[in-house]
Amino acid sequence: MTAPVEIERPEAAEVPQADVPWVTVVWNDPVNLMSYVTYVFQTYFAYPKVKAEKLMLDVHEKGKAIVSSGTREEMERDVEAMHSYGLWATLQKAGDRV
Amino acid sequence: MGHAAEGGGPSLSTAFRRARGGVVAASFHVVEVELLRSLVGQLLELVRDERADTKAGDVWAAELGLGDDAQSRPTDPVLLRLFPDAYREDDEAASDFRRFTERGLRDRKAASAATVLASLATADGAAASARSAKSREKLRIELDTDQAEAWLRTLTDLRLALGTRLGVAEDDEDDWLALDENDPRRHVHDVYDWLGWVQETLVRTLSAAME
Repeated sequence: MTAPVEIERPEAAEVPQADVPWVTVVWNDPVNLMSYVTYVFQTYFAYPKVKAEKLMLDVHEKGKAIVSSGTREEMERDVEAMHSYGLWATLQKAGDRV
Repeated sequence: MGHAAEGGGPSLSTAFRRARGGVVAASFHVVEVELLRSLVGQLLELVRDERADTKAGDVWAAELGLGDDAQSRPTDPVLLRLFPDAYREDDEAASDFRRFTERGLRDRKAASAATVLASLATADGAAASARSAKSREKLRIELDTDQAEAWLRTLTDLRLALGTRLGVAEDDEDDWLALDENDPRRHVHDVYDWLGWVQETLVRTLSAAME
């Protein structure tokens, strides 16, 4: 466990919308530090700290979280970036069972 | 997710802190520097050696131009964790993604590892010219923003490699502590914990700087 977490705006994490066809999913793993996962979401996606922490907690507690959405090419770029940070990420069509 | 060892960790080093001139700094004992150098060297070999995971027959096929072994799905669980499938239910798309991205990912991981080795070598040089024996035992590691990013990525790759080899699971800390003192896995897990502690202090320092 690392920094104390405030979840004041959970709606900020609701990324997917009906008009975006692909999503990037980050999966929980037993190795990566919570602080590091938050840092990656802040650094790569430029998400505010509150949103980055909410997504990190979703990954930790629910086992996965949708962290971005867009075209298939954009999501492949995001997944590749997540792999370069050592996070376990996949992409899929929005609306498919996560 | 993982947790950093509590209470400062099994460490002779000091935590990373903000230093003057936009850099972060920590001090490591020479023994820890040697350990880190050895681990990062092994990681570098692993990510550079694209045939490490292929069978002899595949190497032949590759040399004859018949195979694309470098981008086939790894069977080594460590490589599979470092380069995971990007599609869960579409093997063909996963294979295509691997073909287009794995070489670049390997190059980036190797470049980060090489940056870490270079910063250790710089610290070595500074320590070697120190007057007292005590100063020669403690190495000050100073990192700029790019180097710190390389350290974060490489510490992650090392922990993924060690954690996968050990079979680390969520909330299993007590199981490792219960192992016999002489069990080699316990020593490896101590190293894994120490890397986590170093990474935690580095992430916290960089995160604080973002606010």
